[in-house]
Amino acid sequence: MTRKREIRFIIIRSLVAICIALLVATLLIFISAGGDTFHEKLEATGEALRQMLIGPLFRMSKKKGTSFELKRLADILAAMIPTIFTGLSVCIMFSANQFNLGAEGGIMLGAFVSAMVAIYVPMPAGLHAVVAVLIGGAVVAILMLLPALLKTKLSVSEMVCSLMLNYIIMYVIKFLMNTYLADKSRGQIMSYPFRETSAIAPIVNNTTFSGAKLTWGFVVAIVAVILCGLFMYRSRWGYAIRMIGINQAFAGYSGMKVGSVIVLSQVLGGFLAGAGGGVEMLGRYTSFSWSALPGYGWTGITIAILASNNPYMVPLAAFFMAYLSKGCDLMATYAKVPAQLIDIIQGVIFLFFAAEQFLAKYRQKLVVKSAEEEIARLNLNKEG
Amino acid sequence: MPDEKTSGPGEYVVQMKQITKIYANGAAANRGVDFNLRRGEIHALMGENGAGKSTLMKMLFGLEQPTSGEIFVNGEKLVLSSPSVAIAHGIGMVHQHFMLVPSLSVAENMVLGMVPHKSGIFIDKAKAVELTRAYSEKFNLHVEPEAKVMDIPVGMKQKVEILKALMRGARILIMDEPTAVLTTQETAELFVELKNLKKQGYTIVFISHKLNEIMEITDRLTIMRKGKSMGVYNTKDVTKEEISRLMVGRDVVLSLQKDKAVPGDTVLRVRHLEYINEWNKKMLNDISFDVRRGEILGIAGVEGNGQKELVDMLFNFNTPNAGSASVNGKSILGLPQQKIRELGVALVPEDRMLYGIASGASIEENVISDRSGEKRFNKGPLFNMKAIHAEADRLIKEYTVLCKSRSQQVGMLSGGNIQKVVVAREFSNHPILILADQPTRGIDVGATEFIRKKLVELSRSGIAVLLVSADLNEVMELSDSLIVMHNGSIAAYFEDTAGLTDEIMGEYMLGLKKQSVEEVRRVCHDQET
Repeated sequence: MTRKREIRFIIIRSLVAICIALLVATLLIFISAGGDTFHEKLEATGEALRQMLIGPLFRMSKKKGTSFELKRLADILAAMIPTIFTGLSVCIMFSANQFNLGAEGGIMLGAFVSAMVAIYVPMPAGLHAVVAVLIGGAVVAILMLLPALLKTKLSVSEMVCSLMLNYIIMYVIKFLMNTYLADKSRGQIMSYPFRETSAIAPIVNNTTFSGAKLTWGFVVAIVAVILCGLFMYRSRWGYAIRMIGINQAFAGYSGMKVGSVIVLSQVLGGFLAGAGGGVEMLGRYTSFSWSALPGYGWTGITIAILASNNPYMVPLAAFFMAYLSKGCDLMATYAKVPAQLIDIIQGVIFLFFAAEQFLAKYRQKLVVKSAEEEIARLNLNKEG
Repeated sequence: MPDEKTSGPGEYVVQMKQITKIYANGAAANRGVDFNLRRGEIHALMGENGAGKSTLMKMLFGLEQPTSGEIFVNGEKLVLSSPSVAIAHGIGMVHQHFMLVPSLSVAENMVLGMVPHKSGIFIDKAKAVELTRAYSEKFNLHVEPEAKVMDIPVGMKQKVEILKALMRGARILIMDEPTAVLTTQETAELFVELKNLKKQGYTIVFISHKLNEIMEITDRLTIMRKGKSMGVYNTKDVTKEEISRLMVGRDVVLSLQKDKAVPGDTVLRVRHLEYINEWNKKMLNDISFDVRRGEILGIAGVEGNGQKELVDMLFNFNTPNAGSASVNGKSILGLPQQKIRELGVALVPEDRMLYGIASGASIEENVISDRSGEKRFNKGPLFNMKAIHAEADRLIKEYTVLCKSRSQQVGMLSGGNIQKVVVAREFSNHPILILADQPTRGIDVGATEFIRKKLVELSRSGIAVLLVSADLNEVMELSDSLIVMHNGSIAAYFEDTAGLTDEIMGEYMLGLKKQSVEEVRRVCHDQET
């Protein structure tokens, strides 16, 4: 299949998936929308859709009309920070055909470890955050050796292993927080405050865009995207990861160290998730108070699938997810539609992208057409 | 002597007339084949791999559609659009690789797709067992209905397959190389059962290339070669030698220009390799040979006689039970593929789609897979893209890979061009030994010729080449000397391929003749073992 057709196929597939998801969403909104008559329900649905689709970027008021708001954009960009990291993490692991689901626990552990460094290790400003984030990443990277080595040495399913690991991480952190680390002077279970030296500074001044915590973490995330892209498409290790993902038998026959590369992919994935946790924690919060898995890892899986495991596409996919999430929040606030709807929409999109056979017939048609054209051209060449 | 049509069509249960099958990639698997089955006979369908036997039978079983030609079953012209249509007309097939669910019991496998129910919901296991037992007794095919399929021996699995077909009302059984997986005792048992079925009026197609079995059990035989029928014969009127001549042979004798080989030192040295497979079948039996610099040693033989296993051992896809193999004195058995490649061994794999390429990756990514870590393609932590592009473009040009650009997906190329990508990689990284396993199977004439010329060229430049091929043309034309494998052993060694005829080759390939141990030993040029 030519490159052009391939891209066209990807775009069509994405659009169809989004359209179907929105269609299902509209139906659900309509059912749950307030109002007694059909007309009222319809109006409520319209309002809800407006909030969901354009609300995340535009302010709508009856007096001033619809106007773009920079603050809302900053909000969305800020929300993308952790999911870009988990998206990249999952991209790298899935590229090697390793269905490691540990990004979820990874980001929580990374956040926790970074928080501990931020609280207990004194360091000069600037350096503090960098060290804390790197340690957070490193700890998760080491932990990911567990599913990776179990997979390569004993053929244990990395999926099951990493999935269970998430809960172990969560409960160990909860246990440590409740028993040893909680600041007893506070009304809820949370750690002592971070040292001020560890904070990741906001890019834009908080007073101008109050509420939006768009920190330098966003820039770090974009740098990570570029590094991951270079790693995957311009380095021998990323190349080995992709070849193993496409055809492991081929990679082994070609002389690549399949086992080591599989381990590498998961360790790197762990590092990215952990570092993402650190960046999120030190940028957004002043003390550690997570008591459950944050959900960024699951979103990361959706993002990686939307991005077809291409790191460069991750910011786009993360933007889409953040936009959708914000839209649903607004819808819940202003249009009386349950916020849980976002989960359903996410689920529907996930369904359509994950199903490998999705639109397979259309793809097949394109492939056949390509092949036929080629054969026809070859025949022409032969005769000519 | 070809069998004349002595009677009207009423006698035939199946008539396939002028069947032609051309696959989408342009390969003609069958060309104007006539095939007839008489009621109550055991009919052998013979031919080498790739002769078109399986394609013909797939069409009879509805798995493939003929491009042209007609099929009559019991005198009625039919379009067999799917296996279920074929089954409805009493045609059953027993595949070589069993289509059973290993975790289910024999009885459950038997009733798959036609499950008896209790009160409309629950699967009636007792009924399934009872049914299985009834059929087992009726046809005298002993199976254990309650055993799990994964726990029963291969021979019993085959019986389950046969019973499955019979239970679905098959009157015509197609058996695809049924003895390939069986031990001698199991084969003997199977033959008793098949004769029994024949007595009850069943018609059996027996696909095989084992001459002894065919002489023992079949009534008539059809021989195929290169997609064409070479005629129908009564088994009792034809000799093994005649069959061998009809089965093995060349259409055209190509003459490839090649200088006489000047063999140098031994590069690959294989001694006493033994391998017993998972079904306890001896696949390699005391294999010893040497390949020297500058020569092409061919391995001829009907497929399935140990060639695949031999190559697997040499590239560490499998481990032998005994024996040794070394390249320039260094043992290669059990080495990781990376180390084997570092010693200068290249492999053109038999299964090019599985091992040869990553079909979803670009041509460029495919040609650098064995050298991506080399210094010349890396600048610090990153690839030197310029050098990689240059390498890819050079190989595409040198190996005349027909493509749009180096970034085109390999899976989108034609078979011949895919193989060119494989050989471009394998031939170009300064190998000292090339293992070429069926290097031109199923690819177009142009690519075939190109690859063959390249192999000769490389060998004359001082590379040792081991050529494994089921294509008699190829192996006889290209090889400087050759060995014939039969039944896991080396049946013959010919120091010089000049003067060899198809007839001689056929007799060794089909096991009618075997050289003495001393004669075969000559292929070990380094005699101190």
